[in-house]
Amino acid sequence: MGIKRRQYWGLIFVLPAVIFFALFSYLPMINSFIASFHSKDIISLKAPVFVGFKNYIHIFTSEDFINSIKATIIFAVGCFIPLVTISLLIATVIVSLRRIPWIQNLFKMIYYSPSIVSGVVSATIWLLIFDPRGLANQWLNFIAGNPTPVDFKWLALPAMARLATIIIYFWKYVGYFVIIYFAGLVSIPQSLYEVADIDGASGWKKFLSITIPLLKPTIEFVFIVAFIQCVRTFSIQYVFVQSGSPREPINVVSLNIYTTAMQYHSLGRSTAMSVSLFCFILIFTIVQLRIYRSERVSYV
Amino acid sequence: MRLLKVSTICWLMLACTLFVFAAGEQEKAAKPLQIVQWTHEDPNRTPLEEKWIAEFQSEYPNVRVVRETSPSGKIKEKVLTAFAAMKGPDIFNLEAEDEWQYIVSERVAPVDLEAVEYSSYEALRNEYLPVTFNGALYEGKVYGMPMEITNWCIYINNKYYREVGLDPAKDYPKTWEQMVTVAEKLTIREGEVIKRRGFDFRYPYYLAFFVPMANQLGGTVLTPDGKSAAVDSPAWIKLLRYMADWGPNGHNLGSPTYTNARKTFNRDDNSIAMCISGLYQYDRIKAENEAFLPEVSVVPYPRFEDAVNDNGAAVYGHYYMVNSSSSPEVQEWAWKLIKYFTSHEEEFLDQVGLIIPSKKLLQTDVYRNKKFADVFIEDMRKSNFIMTHESGPKIQDVIKEMVEGVMLSNIPPAEAARRGKQKIDDILGM
Repeated sequence: MGIKRRQYWGLIFVLPAVIFFALFSYLPMINSFIASFHSKDIISLKAPVFVGFKNYIHIFTSEDFINSIKATIIFAVGCFIPLVTISLLIATVIVSLRRIPWIQNLFKMIYYSPSIVSGVVSATIWLLIFDPRGLANQWLNFIAGNPTPVDFKWLALPAMARLATIIIYFWKYVGYFVIIYFAGLVSIPQSLYEVADIDGASGWKKFLSITIPLLKPTIEFVFIVAFIQCVRTFSIQYVFVQSGSPREPINVVSLNIYTTAMQYHSLGRSTAMSVSLFCFILIFTIVQLRIYRSERVSYV
Repeated sequence: MRLLKVSTICWLMLACTLFVFAAGEQEKAAKPLQIVQWTHEDPNRTPLEEKWIAEFQSEYPNVRVVRETSPSGKIKEKVLTAFAAMKGPDIFNLEAEDEWQYIVSERVAPVDLEAVEYSSYEALRNEYLPVTFNGALYEGKVYGMPMEITNWCIYINNKYYREVGLDPAKDYPKTWEQMVTVAEKLTIREGEVIKRRGFDFRYPYYLAFFVPMANQLGGTVLTPDGKSAAVDSPAWIKLLRYMADWGPNGHNLGSPTYTNARKTFNRDDNSIAMCISGLYQYDRIKAENEAFLPEVSVVPYPRFEDAVNDNGAAVYGHYYMVNSSSSPEVQEWAWKLIKYFTSHEEEFLDQVGLIIPSKKLLQTDVYRNKKFADVFIEDMRKSNFIMTHESGPKIQDVIKEMVEGVMLSNIPPAEAARRGKQKIDDILGM
């Protein structure tokens, strides 16, 4: 009886969160799914018209959406690999500074601080740096020793616009993943390293045989979160396009969803893109989880 | 027993909530009628409208007006999002090309003739120059009152002309071909980096500045029947080539990625020598940097040497519009307030540089004495009203992609035109 009553109270406490998520997350998701089978202009008072799979057929046969998939893959790969690897290296270096805690804390703060700045603000700050008269050109010209300044056209050339968005994203999120890796690294028992030292293991050997296997749950989390973040990128590309950068090279799927809804007013096509993106992320995440779960290691 | 207590507390909370809602209803009945106005930021217009709102409220104490401003670049999205959610302000204004879709979608109400004190739409239109209502006239009804009807000309910083040995009164560019030569003389570069632009376009308002350039060459956005795009014509390809040459991969005279030319022009900080803007720019310079005014001159919009049409930049406007979802009573008072605003056309022109082209205004000394008003009006007489189409903003977005594609991504003009046509045809077939 006592157990049942506790369960009842648990349900009551959880109910507000369930209602909140149902109203603000699940309901819009279901609505989006339904809307993706309809044709609807977002400001029109006319009722939506059921069009079946027409929106899906249209987006997957349009050059524009295919280009968006390409732009998203280039961005995600260009961002994901440095994010998950360099943040691990930085976290390892910070953990090694455990004997000087104030420096350790200072580095954690320095790396983490950009991640609390909003995407729009980050992009606006970096736009000044990438301006033809900005610091990016000045630094590169200084490093290259160019006698007359060269304009690297950070915001104008397709490849440079892609690189610029990747740099901003990396700068913004690397600290977030450093902190997650840091938390995972400090939770590895120190005694395992001490035993390895007695056995004469090298630093690299300890990293490969102790750190990486025991950090797998953290790595799994970082890989999934970083991938989802990279695929859902929007605000940096939006600010760039608003500032005159060419849309095509950085027209990631999220930006295309926004443009299709807010500028082309086509709610059906934009929700079809959203549902497609959601399915892609879901499938990829399930695959990633399956792979990682089959490789879990425990030394306990 | 505990459950009984919890359920009693829940019922009491529910009763209190209902009581608060009921009290709210009573309070609502006693409250003055509220009109919400959304408009774009304009530091010169704000004090005027706030003064008129205060006067209006003291004359009609039953009305309370809430005026909210947003940056010009953001208000379009803000209004669209609100209307998509079946909300929105009672009064708003956008550029005419953006407002058209609200008219066609029946989201704005036709002008309440009784509230604005006209006997018919014909009588209302007769009070103004013929072009005035081109962006608000739909199926015989007028859907907005003009806040501003204007066109764009070229603003020149005379000081920089003299600095490079040019006479601003004689050597200003009359054609787009001359614009390249003059801009090149005025441009200062350090290596490849532009320190001062001679001139740059007003990206991304392509319907206002770019389509008229295509019109000069005989190009149009749509075919005469309006059923498909005509942006792949030789006139468009020639114009796209001109823009490609203008950009960073051509003569390197300017780019959409540089700071908006119109904004930096007012600062007179050696970053731009010429820009495109409307008559209102003069009063904005006066407000921001009055000492710079003696160095400013204005010349007509250039034409191409082989132009087949003698039009300048597009005539466009902002109309005060009223949300058709607002209650009839709010709509009526909203139109009364708008009438109050627009009856001050002399102050609009004198203090903000906004032209409400009523026939009455053109007879006043305020109009006759307004510096450069003649240059704008003369060019306006030869120009076309901006493209009003329910897909106008979408088409503008496609043109933006075309121009930026040739200027920044090295897409060949013919290919950019082909892709643009395909996209516009797709929009028309939606």
